[in-house]
Amino acid sequence: MSDTPHTSLYVRSANVAKRNRAGNTLRYLGLGAISLVLLFLAVLLWSILSRGVPAFYQYQAQIELFYDAETLDPDGTLDPEEIGSRSLRSGYERGIFADSLRATLEGNGINTEEFKDKDLSNLIYAANRRDVRDSVVENLDLLDQTVPFNVPIASPVTRYLSGELAGVDRSSMPPGIDRAQLDLIDQMVEAGLIEQKFRWNFFSNVYSQSGEIAGIGPALMGSAYMMLVVLVFSLIFGVAASIYLEEFAPKNRLTDFIEINIANLAAVPSIVFGILGAAILITLKNLGFGDSIRGTALMGGIVLSLMTLPTIVIATRAALKAVPPSIRDAALGVGASKIQTVFHHTLPLAAPGILTGTIIGIAQALGETAPLLLIGLSVSTGAELLSSPLTGGLLEQTQSMPTAVYLFSQNQDTPVREGLAQSAIIVMLVLLFALNLFAIILRRRFERRW
Amino acid sequence: MKDTTETDRAMSTQNDVKISAKGVQVYYDKNQAIKDVDVEIEGRTVTAFIGPSGCGKSTFLRCLNRMNDTISICRVEGDILIDGEDIYDPRVDPVQLRAKVGMVFQKPNPFPKSIYDNVAYGPKIHGLAKSKADLDDIVEKALRRGAIWDEVKDRLHAPGTGLSGGQQQRLCIARAVATEPEVLLMDEPCSALDPIATAQVEELIDELRSDYTVVIVTHSMQQAARVSQKTAFFHLGNLVEYGDTDKIFTNPEDPRTESYISGRIG
Ligand SMILES: Nc1ncnc2c1ncn2[C@@H]1O[C@H](COP(=O)(O)OP(=O)(O)OP(=O)(O)O)[C@@H](O)[C@H]1O
Ligand SMILES: [Mg+2]
Repeated sequence: MSDTPHTSLYVRSANVAKRNRAGNTLRYLGLGAISLVLLFLAVLLWSILSRGVPAFYQYQAQIELFYDAETLDPDGTLDPEEIGSRSLRSGYERGIFADSLRATLEGNGINTEEFKDKDLSNLIYAANRRDVRDSVVENLDLLDQTVPFNVPIASPVTRYLSGELAGVDRSSMPPGIDRAQLDLIDQMVEAGLIEQKFRWNFFSNVYSQSGEIAGIGPALMGSAYMMLVVLVFSLIFGVAASIYLEEFAPKNRLTDFIEINIANLAAVPSIVFGILGAAILITLKNLGFGDSIRGTALMGGIVLSLMTLPTIVIATRAALKAVPPSIRDAALGVGASKIQTVFHHTLPLAAPGILTGTIIGIAQALGETAPLLLIGLSVSTGAELLSSPLTGGLLEQTQSMPTAVYLFSQNQDTPVREGLAQSAIIVMLVLLFALNLFAIILRRRFERRW
Repeated sequence: MKDTTETDRAMSTQNDVKISAKGVQVYYDKNQAIKDVDVEIEGRTVTAFIGPSGCGKSTFLRCLNRMNDTISICRVEGDILIDGEDIYDPRVDPVQLRAKVGMVFQKPNPFPKSIYDNVAYGPKIHGLAKSKADLDDIVEKALRRGAIWDEVKDRLHAPGTGLSGGQQQRLCIARAVATEPEVLLMDEPCSALDPIATAQVEELIDELRSDYTVVIVTHSMQQAARVSQKTAFFHLGNLVEYGDTDKIFTNPEDPRTESYISGRIG
């Protein structure tokens, strides 16, 4: 006893100090890593929100729109078909807008003598001619009426209004805009004719090259339909496959092989599925089916289902495996058949896990872009889908959220590229977060009960 | 020949043999877990299986209601007759067999459902109840048999998993008797229970004897001595000795039985 030297607990031994140092280093490394991740996240969110949120707002001019019968229906036929079939290229809409804008400005005491019609119509987005013509076709009473109308401000002027061109010399303005026009705009602002409004129609309009009226209506709908297809296909097939593999299949080489391949499938890059889908489309075309399902939500949904399937199979098998064997024994022990055991006990207990996995799989699918570009979900504006949302849902060409983001980001117009693309990303992220939140709530709600 | 078998069978019914196993061999893949076991288990009797860990008690017990079917590598040879019928005959559906031969497991395993649903599940799938009132009666009767009615009658719709361990095990017994089995197999039903719950379950087993044939696996020599009339001693897959419990515990024939009972192997 006495020959072992007395060591005080108050004095830290070199060994312990060294170990503590190692532990602290690791802790600071971990903290550093987390801070870095948070920093990246903050930068990402800031860059999206700072440009995307303002793009949800749009400068609009309130004009008194005069539905000029002489221009819209020169022959006085009062025949909707005749009016609707008139060529859109004739430029009469610009005339209508220019005249209406001029009248509105004069009515507000703003002198417009020095401006030509073209100078006026360049200030506003005078190209939603369809709207004017179509509303007349729908309601002939509008002819020769004057109706208050909100028309988006043209994109170069928007940049001026948002202060983006503040420092720029007025002589080097974007093409088509000159000093006099900008002065006119200033006057309009003063007269309260220009207002910044939330673009509700961003959520319902079809895609367009022109940022002033572009929207994500078909993209939202296409994505929703695709999620539906994915849900039906991959949930049914995924759960059926998992139940068979987990509860019924014998454990042998074949099932091992299948298992490994399902895991492999989960690791296949998404573009490969897109190429597969494209190959199917080409085959269909060669067989004489034409382009019938190219770019439709059905096709997109099927391709995304293939991608989601392995995720769901893996999640479902894990959920089934997590159900304790004693529950199966209990059911079999009272004389339930194997099928009854699965459907009365195992599957309901695994359901939360399966649903969580499914939602995560669907959320993945929602953001997938590459395969959808390959099977043509970016070729149509989606106008047809929008005109028959229920009947045409699966079989009309459409877009999806990620392909809409892609298209916006490829636009030659800077405000679209930098503004609307981010707005669409915000919408997509909100949807994704909502899905994930739903998955978390489900998991909480159905915490294990055994 | 045929005549004698018929007579044998008649005789054995008179002797009240419920389960009769002949030359039973069980293999897990290539491992033999049960070696040539012959045993005749009497009706309305409690029979205890004892023996050191890994000697095959559970394996043999699970042969009696074909729970071994669920283990793909398990293979059973030989004949097991219940009431003179070969339960491994291709015409026999294990689902029907398990309604007749109930089982209580080592660890209480109530379904994560209400107490009522736990007990009602078996009768429902076997179509034993014609109406809701019928089912209510069956549930009440089973819970009374399981000696747990008084404790749960006010919370039949509370989850079965919320009961204490001993209550859960009695619930499992109630669940097993609800399907009106003739044989009740129990694999170490008290191993997860405290002495008070154990005493309750033992008392229950003794009562069940009047209606059921009970086979119980236990590691507790005292328990075997307390509840059983017959005892079978297994060792390394062999049935070493089988006979009246009193005799086995006081005057065993085989030296292996003797040393196990006195605590020298196991
Ligand atoms: N599912 C299985 N797969 C392979 N071998 C098994 C399996 N179950 C049991 N065995 C083997 O069979 C033999 C008998 O096992 P069993 O479970 O019947 O023993 P036991 O007497 O019940 O033991 P204990 O008292 O520990 O419960 C053991 O050697 C065991 O390793
Ligand atoms: Mg055992």
